[in-house]
Amino acid sequence: MAIVLLYPLVRVVVLSFQDFGLRELNLGGAEWIGFANYHQIFADPRLWEIVLPNTVVFALVNVVLTVGVGTVVALLLFRLGPWLRGFVTTAIMMAWAIPAVTGTYVWIFIFDSRRGPAIRLLDSLGLVDADATNWFDDRLTFYVIATLNVVHHGFPFVAITVLAGLMTIPKDVLEASTIDGAGGWKRFWYITAPMLKPVFAVVTILSTIWDFKVFVQIFLMPGGDGINRDVFNLATWSYVTAFGQGNRFGLGSAIAVSLTLVLIVITTFYIRYLFREEEL
Amino acid sequence: MKSHTPRGRILTAVAVVTVLVFTLFPAFLMVSMAVDSQASAGKRSLLPTSFTLDHFSFVVDEGQFGTYLRNSLVVAVCTVLASGVLALLAAVAVSRFRFRFRTSVLVMILIVQMVPVEALVIPLFIQARDLNLLNRLLGLVVVYLAFSLPIAIWMLRGFVAAVPKEIEEAAYVDGASWSRMFWSILMPLVAPGLVAVSVFSFIIAWNEFTFALTFNTDADPERYTAAVGLRRFFGQYGNNWGAIMAGSTLITLPVMLFFVVVQRRLSTGLVAGAVKG
Repeated sequence: MAIVLLYPLVRVVVLSFQDFGLRELNLGGAEWIGFANYHQIFADPRLWEIVLPNTVVFALVNVVLTVGVGTVVALLLFRLGPWLRGFVTTAIMMAWAIPAVTGTYVWIFIFDSRRGPAIRLLDSLGLVDADATNWFDDRLTFYVIATLNVVHHGFPFVAITVLAGLMTIPKDVLEASTIDGAGGWKRFWYITAPMLKPVFAVVTILSTIWDFKVFVQIFLMPGGDGINRDVFNLATWSYVTAFGQGNRFGLGSAIAVSLTLVLIVITTFYIRYLFREEEL
Repeated sequence: MKSHTPRGRILTAVAVVTVLVFTLFPAFLMVSMAVDSQASAGKRSLLPTSFTLDHFSFVVDEGQFGTYLRNSLVVAVCTVLASGVLALLAAVAVSRFRFRFRTSVLVMILIVQMVPVEALVIPLFIQARDLNLLNRLLGLVVVYLAFSLPIAIWMLRGFVAAVPKEIEEAAYVDGASWSRMFWSILMPLVAPGLVAVSVFSFIIAWNEFTFALTFNTDADPERYTAAVGLRRFFGQYGNNWGAIMAGSTLITLPVMLFFVVVQRRLSTGLVAGAVKG
């Protein structure tokens, strides 16, 4: 495991300081160019105007929506009787179980420019012209569709985890607050949420990490594999730079390392939090 | 915590229906398309207009989907077997024996879990190329093993730690050796966890896309896994939606079955590993 996982981490950092392309891949040997790859990335207006906003805004919106929807669904499940709860939980599990690849294809079909049910519905209502609309061309609508896909795929984990947390709250605490006159809203913010703080921290940080590095869902959407450069995020930009035309492995590595550094900062908070809460 | 007012009941019912529709709609649409004879002609309704299995026979016969599925199965089963054995041993070591670097091993496992796949795909591609592992299923098994192990160890650790030490000590007092204790005491108690972990590794290997795509530099259909093979129905046959959905259904069904069967264990396993520490 150390060989398969730690060595590549070292290697990708090394690569990010090299001019490593197809020629170096075939013949071996690579020239050290210091921070030139990083200079190129940070000087690229595409990073600041397209890639970074796409990555960060998408991640933030998706984390808020995933955790929000997941929590609301968990509270709903908590109110249900045992039979209905089991049934809805199974349904949620099925949403979780759909592989990212096939799930993405279904969402692509739903919003497909000519045959998709969504565009047909709006066309029949006279709201859009099905022949002239392609939602995958536009950056905003592209990411709205990706958001639906990612939230749909991600909220079950949050719902199940938060529900497990809700089950651990002693019933008498909630009953006591009800007797004291607290409504549902107050009960959630003053009793439930503080008691579940560790659970919320875990699901929020994990969601943040997952949503920052979303790759398959973006890559598979029409134009997401590098054809439409307006919809790049850090992960797809890195991949297409390295494996698309030109095979600039060094430059792609530098992008990947930058993304990893962002994630490590987030992970550090996660581990710190766990360590503070209890002995590992 | 049930609501007793009629208004509360109606609100709850509406919420349940909304959640069910949102969660199940994509899966429903996928299956509905896969068995709809009109799927590729342009779909008028959400229900299949007429039932057919043509899309399934098309993807398996002409689309070589049988080969892709077999490749995926081989890769997934090898990953499950190897990761089950290694993760169990590692989990016992991490949760039972106190050794130097114990905490750093755990932290490393967590860190590795956070590293984006995209950061690993470039160096691993070069590495696999040097080791002559490209275009071979073995290369994928090695990579998936490395990905599933951290999570598997992390989850199993919770299960092993949940077995009281006193039970083990009682076995020693009764004269059992470590290996006897392991097989007769620990193993049966950890078995549910092992099932959950196996399912987890299976799903990782079965669903993986990025490496399966990248490592197949020859684009040799004989070596496609199902997740990658599905892509061929886009270009080659001009978005053959019926075929795409039939293939998607074939990929999704085993995963869904596993998920539903082990859902309880999976969720408690995740929580035990991630939250309780």
